Amino acid sequence: MIADLTTRRLVICCGTGGVGKTTISAALALRLAQSGARTVVVTIDPARRLASALGMTGLSDEPRRVPADAVLGEGAGELWALQLDAKATFDRLVSRYAADEAARTRILENRIYRHLSGAVAGAQEYMAVERLHELVEDGDFECIVLDTPPATNALDFLDAPQRITRFIEGRALRLLLRPGAVAGGLGWKILHAGSGTVLGLLERLTGAQLLRDVSDFLAGFDGMYQGFADRATAVRTLLLSEQSAFLVIAAAEPDSLGQAVALSRRLTSDGFPLSGVVLNRVHALPGEPPAEQELADALAAAGAEDPGALARDAIAAIADERVLGLRDLDARAELHAAIRDGALIEVPSLAHEPVELPGIAEVAAALGP
Amino acid sequence: MLGKGGVGKSTVAAALALSTARAGGRALVVEVAGQQRLSQLFSAARVGDDEATELRPGLFGISIDAERATEEYLAGQLKIRPLVELLTHSKAFHTFAAAAPGLPELVTIGKIWSMAIALRPDGGAPVWDTVTVDCPATGHGIALLETAGNIEELAAGGPIRDQAARIQEVVSHPAATGIVIVARPQELAVAEAIEATATLRGHGLPVAAAVLNGVHPARFSASDAPPLRAVADAPGAVGEAARAALRHLEQQGDDTAYRTRLAGETGLPVIDLPRVVRRRIDLPALELLADALAQGLASAGAAA
Ligand SMILES: Nc1ncnc2c1ncn2[C@@H]1O[C@H](COP(=O)(O)OP(=O)(O)OP(=O)(O)O)[C@@H](O)[C@H]1O
Ligand SMILES: Nc1ncnc2c1ncn2[C@@H]1O[C@H](COP(=O)(O)OP(=O)(O)O)[C@@H](O)[C@H]1O
Ligand SMILES: [Mg+2]
Ligand SMILES: [Mg+2]
Repeated sequence: MIADLTTRRLVICCGTGGVGKTTISAALALRLAQSGARTVVVTIDPARRLASALGMTGLSDEPRRVPADAVLGEGAGELWALQLDAKATFDRLVSRYAADEAARTRILENRIYRHLSGAVAGAQEYMAVERLHELVEDGDFECIVLDTPPATNALDFLDAPQRITRFIEGRALRLLLRPGAVAGGLGWKILHAGSGTVLGLLERLTGAQLLRDVSDFLAGFDGMYQGFADRATAVRTLLLSEQSAFLVIAAAEPDSLGQAVALSRRLTSDGFPLSGVVLNRVHALPGEPPAEQELADALAAAGAEDPGALARDAIAAIADERVLGLRDLDARAELHAAIRDGALIEVPSLAHEPVELPGIAEVAAALGP
Repeated sequence: MLGKGGVGKSTVAAALALSTARAGGRALVVEVAGQQRLSQLFSAARVGDDEATELRPGLFGISIDAERATEEYLAGQLKIRPLVELLTHSKAFHTFAAAAPGLPELVTIGKIWSMAIALRPDGGAPVWDTVTVDCPATGHGIALLETAGNIEELAAGGPIRDQAARIQEVVSHPAATGIVIVARPQELAVAEAIEATATLRGHGLPVAAAVLNGVHPARFSASDAPPLRAVADAPGAVGEAARAALRHLEQQGDDTAYRTRLAGETGLPVIDLPRVVRRRIDLPALELLADALAQGLASAGAAA
């Protein structure tokens, strides 16, 4: 399955919380780089774990070269990594596309913009769309691997291009942009006469000032809207095309499995090209525990102080591993039943947490052919 | 409850509520963004999104759906039914609401706030003894907690600003709100917990404690290592059991190191919750976690 991914422009890893999206994204990017492609792994999760997984001290909105020579091998491509910074992306966008200096200043100094571009939830997904578009357009990388936030927010990201276009093409924007439509102008009184207008109602909720600020903010982008809509459409087209591949990551925990299957179905029914499912952290199944007496005898011969108690605890330890091993066998069977042949990759639970490059390389090797 | 994906926020939220309920209190667990984890944990039917569903005696759950909460909010604000309908049926409003960053978070935190401060109609006692919020994973969870403060700053005046200010007063007050950072004894989860604590504090939000979830029971001590290592090479089941014991011993050591780091870098009291080895977390397992949590909270309180 991995070999098939080398032909894609964009590989997107999604899944519920803590299943290994970031780890698998990093490992997959390493594999693609090993096979010769100049690759960048991008995280759009505001939590910054990609840097930790790669053992780097920090990542930024510009791609950084991952010092991976030791694990890349002969004839490999380069490996780069990037952490989305919504504010930096938005600022760049404004500088690049604003009609003139006045328009640029008007936006950058708007109070709504200053909050929105940095902190406000939701802006992240929009800027992820823009950043992805930039990366594709710049053409610096043959492969882009995308690490997403936990499932519900990942779906928000996948919906974002459509939300942007709908908003830009919809009536809400035109209403808010109509000169004088918002408090103060003559138009306002006329609108208010029918006191049932959407805008009139909105103002009752937000207060005149906030609505004026919003309107002003949106007006600042005048002339840039078509660009937003065009880029959003381009990203959506890419996400739906065969140039992209989606991987759903699952852990063997029972709740996670059900959610992974549901997510896979959702992606498929929405038309996204799903390549397969990665079942991560599969626990090995050890054999049956030994007879307590036999183990205690061996431990006594090795000088244990209380061989009986130690034998009991050791048997408890292996019994725990068996519970998880058996659970994961069932998980694997359940997934096999739900997913078509050849679309399932299993990654074992590694004895040492795969952080930093050697660990990521171990996961990369475990991804199979 | 805030923390990295999959660390056990929902599980710990349920355990905390269970311990309140078992002590005779009324506990509400709030799920956000349409999650349905509680119904799994308590093997119950879907948890409602408008009214709290009783899952166990004294333990209720609610799963907030932002779109519904927005309509409810509007109804409360505009009071006049036809106006609400006009707005909620307006396509323009829907595209605006769906595209407005921060709006779903604001109505969500607003609804949580209104439940947290609700008083009984009779005596004026609070409706809920504890309201436990099962936040989204760190990145989006922090955004949720910061929303009211951001809107308060962003809106110069008007009703939304006033509401945001009232919400922020509760969310940022250490006597009203305590953010619990949940982590696993793993590098990525602990790193995220430390970072989240600093970010929240930077925004004046009250972090009360950390939970280290899934700690291995202290089965072995360092003096067990030499005999275990001597037996580890033995063929068959005997060697295999000794190797499993050594792995467990190593994890005990890792757990201790992570606890020290988490406590040292955040200055928070750290409450250990044991790793439960079952196929899934069921009610007896939750009860066990609830007891451990109550104990941990009591000793953290005593230490403070
Ligand atoms: N195959 C594996 N073996 C052992 N540990 C693993 C494996 N894969 C991932 N992990 C560990 O599991 C934890 C969760 O992984 P990771 O952070 O990649 O998940 P995620 O899906 O990105 O989480 P989030 O939802 O918070 O973004 C991490 O501590 C990681 O190091
Ligand atoms: N103390 C524990 N011991 C063992 N497994 C646990 C423990 N706490 C949580 N889990 C398991 O970890 C997984 C993630 O827990 P969950 O509460 O859903 O995390 P979150 O809400 O943070 O995403 C679940 O499969 C849950 O059963
Ligand atoms: Mg991640
Ligand atoms: Mg949860």
